[in-house]
Amino acid sequence: MRKMGLVLSLVGLLLVSIAAGCIGGTTETQEKKVKVAILFDVGGRGDLSFNDMAYLGAERAKKELGVEVEYMTPKSKEDMVPLLEQLAQSKEYDLLVLVGFLWTSPLNEVADKYPDQKFALIDSTTGKVRQNEVDILFREQEVAALMGVIASGMAYELGGDTIGAVAGMDIPPLWKFHIGYLFGAKYFEKKTGKPVKLLWQYTGTFGDTQVGYNTAMQLLQQGAKVLYGLAGLTHVGMFDAVRDWNEQGRGKALAMGQDASQEWYAPKYIPISGAKRVDVAVYDAIKMVVDGTWKGGIITLGLKENGVGYWDLDGVRQFAEFAKEAGKLKDMTPDEVVQIVKEQREKYIKPYVWDIVHELEEKIKNGEIVFKTPKTHEEYEQIIRELEKGNLNAALEKGSVE
Amino acid sequence: MLNLEKLTEVLISVVMAFIVGAVVLLLLGHHPLEVYSILFKYGYTNINYLLNKSTPLIMTGLAFSIPSIAGVFNIGGESQLYVGAFLGLLVAYYTGNAIIAIIVGSLAGALLGLFIGILRVYRGINEVITAIMVNWIFYYLIAYLIASRFYNPEVSHESVPVPKSARIPSIGDLSLIFIIAVAVAIAYYYLLYFTDIGYKLRVSGISPASARYAGFDPNKSILVSMFLGGMAAGLGGVLLVLGVTYSIDDTLTAIYGLGFTGIGIGLLGRNHPIGIIFSSLFLSGLLIGGQWVELKTGAPPELADTLIGVIVIALAIPYAYRMLMKRIREGRA
Repeated sequence: MRKMGLVLSLVGLLLVSIAAGCIGGTTETQEKKVKVAILFDVGGRGDLSFNDMAYLGAERAKKELGVEVEYMTPKSKEDMVPLLEQLAQSKEYDLLVLVGFLWTSPLNEVADKYPDQKFALIDSTTGKVRQNEVDILFREQEVAALMGVIASGMAYELGGDTIGAVAGMDIPPLWKFHIGYLFGAKYFEKKTGKPVKLLWQYTGTFGDTQVGYNTAMQLLQQGAKVLYGLAGLTHVGMFDAVRDWNEQGRGKALAMGQDASQEWYAPKYIPISGAKRVDVAVYDAIKMVVDGTWKGGIITLGLKENGVGYWDLDGVRQFAEFAKEAGKLKDMTPDEVVQIVKEQREKYIKPYVWDIVHELEEKIKNGEIVFKTPKTHEEYEQIIRELEKGNLNAALEKGSVE
Repeated sequence: MLNLEKLTEVLISVVMAFIVGAVVLLLLGHHPLEVYSILFKYGYTNINYLLNKSTPLIMTGLAFSIPSIAGVFNIGGESQLYVGAFLGLLVAYYTGNAIIAIIVGSLAGALLGLFIGILRVYRGINEVITAIMVNWIFYYLIAYLIASRFYNPEVSHESVPVPKSARIPSIGDLSLIFIIAVAVAIAYYYLLYFTDIGYKLRVSGISPASARYAGFDPNKSILVSMFLGGMAAGLGGVLLVLGVTYSIDDTLTAIYGLGFTGIGIGLLGRNHPIGIIFSSLFLSGLLIGGQWVELKTGAPPELADTLIGVIVIALAIPYAYRMLMKRIREGRA
């Protein structure tokens, strides 16, 4: 009986190999292309945010710069160092792009051992300057400031004066968001004479939608009209809370997303999202290699470099299409999403608000004002206290707001 | 004992698994031979990586198997590994001593295993339910502690690091932590098959009534087995942190899931400590190679997981079949 099974298996294996052999036959191009490996976060693709945006940037580089791109998703953090070493040893890739902060310490361990291998670390920094390593960071304050102005304007359209934010952990990138958001609110206050109150709440997690839901509900009960999601997956719960708040007739409120365009999740209640263009960072890193302009060090991307901002309707459409592919866009087409978002934007973001936004955007872009980046928690608290008092210049490193 | 019959059974299952896997790959439009060659080329060539990756899995495999032999289903290897990893990390951080860290970590895992055993024996609470709840409690507790108390101020998403003096090194391509794991597996093998305690454990598992008739308490065997199992898992956690990751990140990606994979490892190794060493090496290679399949073929990373799933199921089927037949036959008798 057992022998029979063995023979059958071997015959099966043989058949499969033959079939496989026929289907095969890969053709290899002879020309030497720039070859890039994108190493995702452990979450990998399908998050409709960070990792998917890195993919977007790499695909654009593939199309526009003609590079060859391969992708890899490590199983867990323990795999990152050995994978990185093995990829560097292979000397096959002109550039290894590391997506997300989990790669920080693995890169720090490996980078010095392979001086000929180029690395690009996205949205984090090892704190060391190396010739073979580029760290790309974002100036989050700049997008948050614009969102602060927009949120304040929307709050007044909804008949309130309070805006809120569901934030993740009390860590440096979130400090920058907090400073920018509060700055935007106070900037709006200064320009229009309408007072704005900000409720900022850390949830302590980036991965718990239930916590996001509860936190958002609390903020809504305290009178927040617009909530800004700054907590990754946690703030998806915030979107649900805002939708329920409206649909259960408990009041009117709106939400804003961040990083990717998240309007598609509930277009009626999310008229706008802040952008952190991981795709631009990935594309730029690849472009530096293709153009031969590579230089090690730390790069920050802001409004001027199109590294942060808010999503226009084309962006909204693109992510709605992603969501549709992923089967997450339930009963709408991407076109409908764009249509609803357009209407909601016209309804809640008035021209005078856009005027303030554009004015602030211009000042930031031409370097008239530059935001501070706090080094310590004390410094961060200090800046927040001053902003609360209406001293906008406390958040600025360069320039002033009169 | 591993005999020839069992060995052939495992080999046939492996072949069957790869055939089924090949069909799945063909259906999804991938070239099976290409995928398999990548899987093996990259999965089993980086020896140090392979041995390091196998280490915690050997330990969680034992954490499942030892209680399983005594008739308890320990799905709590996961949290037993967490506490081992976390307390090991803290002890290493504060004392800079690997030996104390290993002792504390293993003991913590053992006590947690014992706790589940005690609830089963003295309160009659199903160990699966307790263990699953304990898993989640410790997941969140440790995630909280790392994020709020023991984070590294320089890299805020990570825990405090293991100091240089407490790290367990690799000697060339040979991973010291793997040697420790193998030594422990051999010790467990000796304990199970050549000592009084092991004999009692095995008899209690096969038939609690016979154990009682022979004059020893099967409940005591349950407690001992959970203690030993938890100890293995706890040790696995310490070895992973002191030898590979040197810190834990606040989403616990490096330690999450190892306890569950240990169940598969245990089943593959036919609950035999020596078999577990090999099944752990085999599965680690598949896990490592799976990551390269995405890079080299553009297949989604889930494909490798699917393949591993198919292989594990195929390997477990004969075992499950025999268990089922045994139960049925016992039922008739």
